[in-house]
Amino acid sequence: MSERIPVGAIAGAYGVRGELRVKSYCARPEDIETYSPLSSEDGTDSYTLAILRPIKNGFAARITSVATKEEADALKGTVLFAQRDQLPSLPDDEFYHADLIGLEVYDTGGALLGRVKTVQNHGADDLLEVQLAGTSATVFLPFTKAAVPTVDLTAGRIVADPPLGILPEDP
Amino acid sequence: MSRSVWKGPFVDSYVLKKAEASRESGRNEVIKIWSRRSTILPQFVGLTFGVYNGHKHIPVNVSEEMIGQKFGEYSPTRTYYGHAADKKAKRK
Repeated sequence: MSERIPVGAIAGAYGVRGELRVKSYCARPEDIETYSPLSSEDGTDSYTLAILRPIKNGFAARITSVATKEEADALKGTVLFAQRDQLPSLPDDEFYHADLIGLEVYDTGGALLGRVKTVQNHGADDLLEVQLAGTSATVFLPFTKAAVPTVDLTAGRIVADPPLGILPEDP
Repeated sequence: MSRSVWKGPFVDSYVLKKAEASRESGRNEVIKIWSRRSTILPQFVGLTFGVYNGHKHIPVNVSEEMIGQKFGEYSPTRTYYGHAADKKAKRK
């Protein structure tokens, strides 16, 4: 589980009065403001962000320490990170993608299958994209109670019971 | 022009056969199909299909809301990862 999570990025200056163009990665884009203060990738800088209005591909925003266009331009490309513990807690059987990514996946016999690479949703159920151990190949595992009976975030492991046909060696 | 109603929904016949065989066997399996053009029918609800996207079979667990749509709609052919940020996944 990573301590800091990227939630957006600064795309450059917006106008000439020190406003910034901010791109949000959040599920609800305007939620980026609620995770303020945000930090830079190395954690040295902290930014208190206030959204002014929505614009094309993001938000016009103001950061308290930025007053001029030159200062705003200097921050172009900065990725904004939030602390993991700033995210609200979730009910049972709901997980943040950031928590699931990187977990080791074991089968019910205890053998290592691989590691969660991404979490996807193509309109049906959520799917865990699992990178198989020792290869670059990936398989999609339905994120259901039947296929994934155990998710242990503290131990960093998932126990999976994949249906027939998911793994490459299945018929 | 949309498809004439009198023809009924289009489904490749092998999909129907595979779905019926899977339902009769009662096994927990992914039904691999290549027919992205087939319509999702009410008898497919509860089954999991592996819909080919040109590269691999994407598991699609059919639910009632999906009836009438095509399998291909649930198996995108292009990869987009995006960012995890605060996105959530629900285990059903």
